[in-house]
This record gives sequence, C-alpha cells and structure tokens, in this order.
Amino acid sequence: MYELLGAGIANIIQLKYLIPLTIGTLVGVIGGALPGVTITMTIIVALPFTFGLDPLQGLSAMVGIYVGGSVGGLITATLLGIPGTPSSLATMFDGFPMAKKGEPGRAIWLGIWASFYGGLLGGIFLIAATGPLAAFALKFGPWEYFSLFVLALSMVAGLVEASLLKGLNAGMLGLVVTVLGNDPMMGVPRLTFGIRFLEGGVEFLPVLIGVFAFAQIMTDAEKMGGTQRIAQAVSATAVFAVSHAKVTWEILSRPFLLLWTSLIGVWIGVLPAIGGSAANMMAYDQAKKFSKHPEEFGKGTPEGIIASEASNNANVGGSLVTIMAFGIPGDAVTAVMLGALTIHGIQSGPLFISQQPTLAYGIFAAYLLAHPIMVVITGIAARWALKVITVPKSMLYPIVLVLCVVGAFALNNTMSNVYVLLVFGVLGYAMVKVGLPLAPFILGVILGDQIEINLIRSIMSDPDPWLFVTRPISGLLLATAVGSVVLALWQHHRAEAKKRLRAENAQADAADF
Amino acid sequence: MGRDAITGLVVFAASLFLFWATLGLERHPLVPVGPGYYPRLVLGATGVLALLLVVSDVIAHRRAGAPAARANYTLVAVAFAIFAIYAIALPYLGFRLATFAFLVAMPLALEPPRGARRRWMVVFVVALVVTVVTYLAFESYLQVLLPRGRWTGF
Repeated sequence: MYELLGAGIANIIQLKYLIPLTIGTLVGVIGGALPGVTITMTIIVALPFTFGLDPLQGLSAMVGIYVGGSVGGLITATLLGIPGTPSSLATMFDGFPMAKKGEPGRAIWLGIWASFYGGLLGGIFLIAATGPLAAFALKFGPWEYFSLFVLALSMVAGLVEASLLKGLNAGMLGLVVTVLGNDPMMGVPRLTFGIRFLEGGVEFLPVLIGVFAFAQIMTDAEKMGGTQRIAQAVSATAVFAVSHAKVTWEILSRPFLLLWTSLIGVWIGVLPAIGGSAANMMAYDQAKKFSKHPEEFGKGTPEGIIASEASNNANVGGSLVTIMAFGIPGDAVTAVMLGALTIHGIQSGPLFISQQPTLAYGIFAAYLLAHPIMVVITGIAARWALKVITVPKSMLYPIVLVLCVVGAFALNNTMSNVYVLLVFGVLGYAMVKVGLPLAPFILGVILGDQIEINLIRSIMSDPDPWLFVTRPISGLLLATAVGSVVLALWQHHRAEAKKRLRAENAQADAADF
Repeated sequence: MGRDAITGLVVFAASLFLFWATLGLERHPLVPVGPGYYPRLVLGATGVLALLLVVSDVIAHRRAGAPAARANYTLVAVAFAIFAIYAIALPYLGFRLATFAFLVAMPLALEPPRGARRRWMVVFVVALVVTVVTYLAFESYLQVLLPRGRWTGF
C-alpha cells in the first residue's frame, strides 16, 4: 500500500496533474467563498472542463475543488459573517466575533490550519479504510449489493432534514426515473412512450446538474429583481499576518478536540447524503459540550473554529471512502465524480482500487497534496476572495447555467441532455418548493439501475426471496436499513414531542405572567 | 388540503399512470421475471408512500404555516422561460450566438439596469467575453464540440 501511495504521490507531483489540482483547489476556494455558490455547484460548473482531460487530471481537479470548497466558506464566514457554504456555518459563530474583535488573521488561519489537520486525519482514514472495505465488498453477491443499495437509500431518506416520508418519497421518485427506458438486463423496450431518446434511459449527470443548479439558482432568483451588494464587515485593509507557530499550537494543544471533531466529520462523510453542512454543526455542538468554557462559544473562542473546520474537511475524506470502496456517492459532489469516472468508461465499485490502482492511489495522493496547496491558496486568496464575492449573482448565475448546458451537451454531444437538464431543473425547483429533499432523489437516480440489475440477477440465480434475509451480510444490511428507518421515525417523534413540550411550557409561562 | 397532500396526490397519479403503462410489457424468455417486474415494484411502493404522505398530511390537520417571505415567482418564471428559449434556440442559432443572447438577456432580467448605461455596457462586454472564452476553451483547448447553428451555420 505504501509503495502504491508513494507512486501515487510521485505521479501527482508531475506538472500535468499538479496544475489541474492547483487550479481545482483555487476554484474550490473561490466557489466556497461565494455565498450562494455551493461546492456542488462549483464542481458541476467544472465538470465539462474535465471532459478533455485524462481521468486522473479530471479527478485531481475535482478533489482540489472539494478540499478547497470545504475551506473557502470560512473566508466569508469569518470576515463577513456570511457563510460561503453551509459547511462553514458553525465557523461563523466564533470566527466572525473573533475577526470583529480585531483578530481577523488569527480567525482565518485557525480555520485554515484546523482544516489542514482535520483533512489530513480524514485522509488517513480514507487511505486505511478504502482497501479493506473494498476487499470486504468483493465477497458480496447480487443479494448483498441489492441490500447495500437499499440501505444507502433508506439511510439517506432518514437522515435528511425533511420528514422520513418525504425522504422516502423523494428516493422512490429517483428510482422511478431509472425505470424509464429499456430494461437494463435484456434491453426490452419499456416506458419509452415512443420517445427514441428514452430508449437508453435517462443519464444521471444532466438530472443531477439540472436538479441542483436550478434548485439553487431559482430559489435565489425569487429574491432578486433589485440591486444586491454585500457589505464589507471587516476592513479591507485589516492585517491578516499571524504567527503560524502560535496558531498551530492553539490547534495541536487541543488534541482531543481535533481528533474527536475530525472523527465526527469522517463518520458523517461516510453516511450517505449528509455532508459538511451537518458535520460542522454536530462537531461544534460536541466541542461546546466537552469544553471547559462552553459560555465562550459564540463569542470568538478558537475551539469553535477548530471544531467546525476540522470536521468539514475530515468529512471530505469520509465521503470519498464510500465512492471508492462501494461506488456509492456520499453526496452530490462525489456523485459528480462518479459521473466523471463513468464518462471515461471507468467502473467504480469494490474492484476499482484493485483494477485501477494508479487512479485510486492518484486520488489519495491528490487528496493529501490538495491540503498544503489549499493552505497556500487560502492564505493568499483570503483578501482577494473578498473582492470576488462582490460579483453580483445576476451576472454569475447565467454563466453557471451556460456551463451546465455545456456539461450536459458534451456528455454525448446531444441536445437531448440539455432538454433533460431543463425538465429536471423545473422538477428540482418544484421539489424544493414542496419540501421534497433532493439528496435521496439523486441517490435513487444513481442507484436505480444497479438495484434492478442486482435484484434480477439474484432472482435468476435462485428465485427464493428469503435469501435476501437469510444470507448473513444481506440480512444484516437489510436489518440495518429497517433499523435506520425506525431510528429516523423515533428521532422525528422525539423532536416533535420536544417541540410540543416547549410550546406548552411557553404557553404556561405566558399564562403565569 | 395541505401542500404535502397535493404533492402526494400528484406523485400517486404519476405512479399509477406509469404502473398502468407497464401492464402491456411482454416477458423475455431468458429472464424469469419480465421487464415490468421491477418497475411495478418501484411504482407500487412509490404509490403507497405517496398515499401515506397524503394521509399523514390530512391527519396532521396542517394549518397554513407562517406566511412565507414574498417570493418573486414572476422572475422565476421569466428565468425559466429565457433558459427554455436558449435551450430550444441552441441547435438553430449555434452556441456562440445563442449563448451571447442568453448572457445578455438573463442578467438583465434578474437585475434590470433601470436606465444605467454603464450596466448595459458591462452586461454586453461580460456576455461577449464569456462566450468567446468558453467557446475557445472548449473547442480549441479541451476538444469538446459545441452546437453549430442549423440556420446560421455558425
């Protein structure tokens, strides 16, 4: 493993990989810093640029975007009090007060270095866990795959913020998209309604691009129509210089905080659908609970910044594990990476690491190298990023849409994918408006074909349906799927009960008064 | 009826229609279950879950929540319409012309210039630069072909 990793690093430090990795990290930092532009949107925009590159060049750029994007948000969160991405929301709680107190440099660099160490801890998990998990998955038959995919979908449906029922409905809608088009086993025409384009089924990338890009842009468009400018909260001439040794010591002198919040980040990354946005909040909450000075949180304590930033970068490592070991994307960003692999004809899944070791270890190396690059770029770009974010969204979003069109069209040089983009853009916006979560829907679209293929394969091998339950791994996976649904129901019930209790208490207080 | 119930009914109707459409599918002799087997499973489960959404909404007696912040839905509709026109016009006008027109129309719709001459200029220049740079980057450098216009040949 170490030789392969060494070879991967030697490979990545070649200019032809280092350049896309650096550009990707820079683009990620800028995209992350722009409020309203998520890492998902940044990677969607970058996707068409990777078509003409070799797979490792493209994936290096994407890894750079993911790592850079997870850090970029802290710039605006700290200096403007506006989180650039949802994954830097908790950074703002303490970063912004610290910056306002006259220590913007300390706040920024605490975030950058915490991201660096958290990301590297996530990287250790990524490299150590992917191989064994993939080897374990190689023992899977179609029953186990079917159950694993069902588990992934049920977990996503249960973990999203909306109700479980809405999550399940969204996941099923995603599966419905995949039953359109010829059946994947024998190619028998099915539900095409005479539309030739549908015979090949609907590709997931234009669906993903359409759903995520339009859901974001159109929701923002609702508030547009006038001139919007972002006020500058921290003086543009503020000094960002700090003693790096001191900042690093501030982080490393809290090893438990760093390790625990990184672990939370990794674990949330491994779970499908919830990503950095949940990781930073959960880590912040944990840091506050374990702190000797919880009253300092929200007033500019370094612990809050470290917890949030270490967890959201460790989360990237966790997300990459599931895609590299099982071929299941943990979030929309890794789903785009999966799409990029597919475009180059590379099958992801448990065989990926053994069949494509150069690519797999190249991705590990890119992930590790992206971190020092990110430190340099974010350190330099923090001040400049403040200038970039004043670009009005009314100018930015149309350019994003053009790049979405290019991405969809260039998939196989057909306009049909552009129309798919539009149709699913409308659907994505409608889903947001009615409160159906997008993550389970997209995972349904991605996994649908695989669920069908493995279901039919298992029936062809042995028509006994009980095998899904009696085969130990498959049974365990299905039991976990049921368990995750029950847990989600219980959590929802508990949250409702708490809400009711709070409302009753508030009413009682009002009556007493 | 609440928003969730309406959503559930729409999803239920769609799954019912698609379920009906699978009934005519013929089985393949080599596969023990026909091409309609899996879609029926999926659509059946979707229909049941959609009905559950309707029922849970009706039981919850959802009252209309706090009034949402005033949203500019007209602008959303206009933005979708501009994008739809762009998508339809692309194969006829070609990437360069259609994209330039789109990049002029969309920013002006999202943030009207209200007579500011400088903003008109900025929008035109940005549209021109982005169109040219995108075209050159993809066609010349990244070897990604972009649509040519059937009417314009451009």
